[in-house]
Amino acid sequence: MLAGVASWFDSSAYMPHGVCLLWRPDLLALHVGADALTGLAYYSIPVALVYFVWRRRDVAFSWVFWLFAAFILACGTTHFFGIWTLWNPDYALEGVVKAVTAAVSVLTAAALWLLMPRALALPSPRQLAITNAALQREIAERRAAEERYTGFFNNLAEGLFVVTVRPDGRFALDTLNPVHARATGLDPARICGRLVEDVLPPATATAVVERYTACVAAGGPIDYEEVLDLPVGRRVWHTVLVPVRDVSGRVVQLLGSARDITERKRLQEELEQASKLATLGTLAAGMAHEMSQPLNIIRIWAENALSRLREGTLDAARTEKVLTLAAEQTERMGRIIDHMRTFARRDRGGAEPFDPAPCVRSAVDLVRNQYALEGIAVSTGPDGGEPGGPVLVLGRPLQLEQVVLNLLSNAYDAIREQGRGGRIAVEVDADAAADHVRITVSDTGGGIPESNLPRIFDPFFTTKEVGKGTGLGLSIGFGIVDAMGGRIEAQNLEHGDGQRGVRFTITLPVVRPAGSKAEVAHG
Amino acid sequence: MAETVHVLVAEDEPLAAMAIEDFLSRKGYRVTLAVDGLDAMERLQADPADLVITDLRMPRMDGHALIRELRRRDPGLPLVVMTGFLSLDGNADDITGDAWKPLEVLRKPVSPQMILDTLERLLARHAL
Repeated sequence: MLAGVASWFDSSAYMPHGVCLLWRPDLLALHVGADALTGLAYYSIPVALVYFVWRRRDVAFSWVFWLFAAFILACGTTHFFGIWTLWNPDYALEGVVKAVTAAVSVLTAAALWLLMPRALALPSPRQLAITNAALQREIAERRAAEERYTGFFNNLAEGLFVVTVRPDGRFALDTLNPVHARATGLDPARICGRLVEDVLPPATATAVVERYTACVAAGGPIDYEEVLDLPVGRRVWHTVLVPVRDVSGRVVQLLGSARDITERKRLQEELEQASKLATLGTLAAGMAHEMSQPLNIIRIWAENALSRLREGTLDAARTEKVLTLAAEQTERMGRIIDHMRTFARRDRGGAEPFDPAPCVRSAVDLVRNQYALEGIAVSTGPDGGEPGGPVLVLGRPLQLEQVVLNLLSNAYDAIREQGRGGRIAVEVDADAAADHVRITVSDTGGGIPESNLPRIFDPFFTTKEVGKGTGLGLSIGFGIVDAMGGRIEAQNLEHGDGQRGVRFTITLPVVRPAGSKAEVAHG
Repeated sequence: MAETVHVLVAEDEPLAAMAIEDFLSRKGYRVTLAVDGLDAMERLQADPADLVITDLRMPRMDGHALIRELRRRDPGLPLVVMTGFLSLDGNADDITGDAWKPLEVLRKPVSPQMILDTLERLLARHAL
């Protein structure tokens, strides 16, 4: 077999191809010319292809170009062999070249068909142009949107800032808008991308990091007021933080808006201060009146005694009487001062369990005689004692006394406004079996217009003349009762005798100290 | 003084009233004490006074009511008011206007000498 194949290459056995052409010079020239030109042309094509692929490195499927180059090169070679075999009968070698050419051709043809779908998918220059135009439009739209949002960010009066939550959980300041930059004194260019603790004073950084951490933990917006020391000084802010999540749900960013409320806070404090002063004024006037009575007695007696002394009519018995009286009256003044002191101390000390009944009695005792002079009777209801021993509530006794006093004083004012006498009934309904105690203060002061009822516990709401009431009494009372876990309500009532009035009801939860149950059981 | 001047003192605090009575009596005045407005009206009915000294806050009939009643009966009667209140104006019971004169207000604590001076000033003017 091998010897057979080797015999193919023994050219002595064949005749040159020119013999078939009878060595006719014109026919030979035609063949040689055609083959040479075709071969040369074929040889030049791969050069062009390789040059193209070499220059256009980005071209898709560049290996196909290499395959084309090889196939055309092979085709060219068969033509040159056609010229060679006119004179040299190396048909075996020519066959090998043709076989190689056939192999490369088949490969190229197959590759081309296999490649066809992917080649078809390649965008044409026209398609590319359309895509490009669409891209340009989108870029323009996005730029416009960006400008619009940048406009919001840069021009909104609200302070805005963005915080990056880093994967390690630390916080970096991303940016802040010009309003916030001015309000805080922070330079956006200098803080951008830096950790909070590297930019802000240590105490401020600790405070804001605590808030940022809370917002991340909450996973939703948080809203708070804070006092921060910043380059502009100490300011009070009302801040809202909103977390932003990435696709995996991790909080990656916090959007903050902040409003400087320093001025508003200052005004609020001034208002509170003013109302405190107004309360103090009322208190001072009351105190001045209370103190003027004993002072009056002492002064009149002392000066009268002095006058007698100069006349020579002051005997020992009268001297003793004057001095005793002065001592008694100063003691009375001392008691007034003591009561003021306990009032001034009312905010100190914590809540304690106490029996509200004596506390209410003490408030009534304080005003009963004074009101009686104005024709206003204060009754405390039947005092049948308290079954099962005293019922205790939790709070500060003097605060409850203050609330009851305020209710009495309101009832007094309402009755006085009607220009005639009236009644105030105070009752403590302490049922040991129940879990609450009720204190009611009812008057014959004409009642409260229904439209005002929902507002009477609002701060600064008053129906009294300007300068007569601070409008704070009931709101303070509401706060005190609320802090004791109780509630205070008002309702108009019609008395049997046709008189109208208001009933305030304070309901307080009862506490039972350890061991009290046994006492109740044996009592 | 040809005749003893009669002064009525309406004051519900007996201790203050007693000392005023003692002082004015020693200065030559005839003094009548009343515990409130109604008491004062009754005593004045029986024995008219040349001048009335009154407290404002009293049971049954207070100083304001008493002053109104006295003014209605005698526009020229000199009155002295003693009060422990800081302010007397700004309400319906305002007694600081000219309509109430002759009337003087003394703030507690008052001194007997002060009462005497006021009393003499009012009486001197009244006598003119």
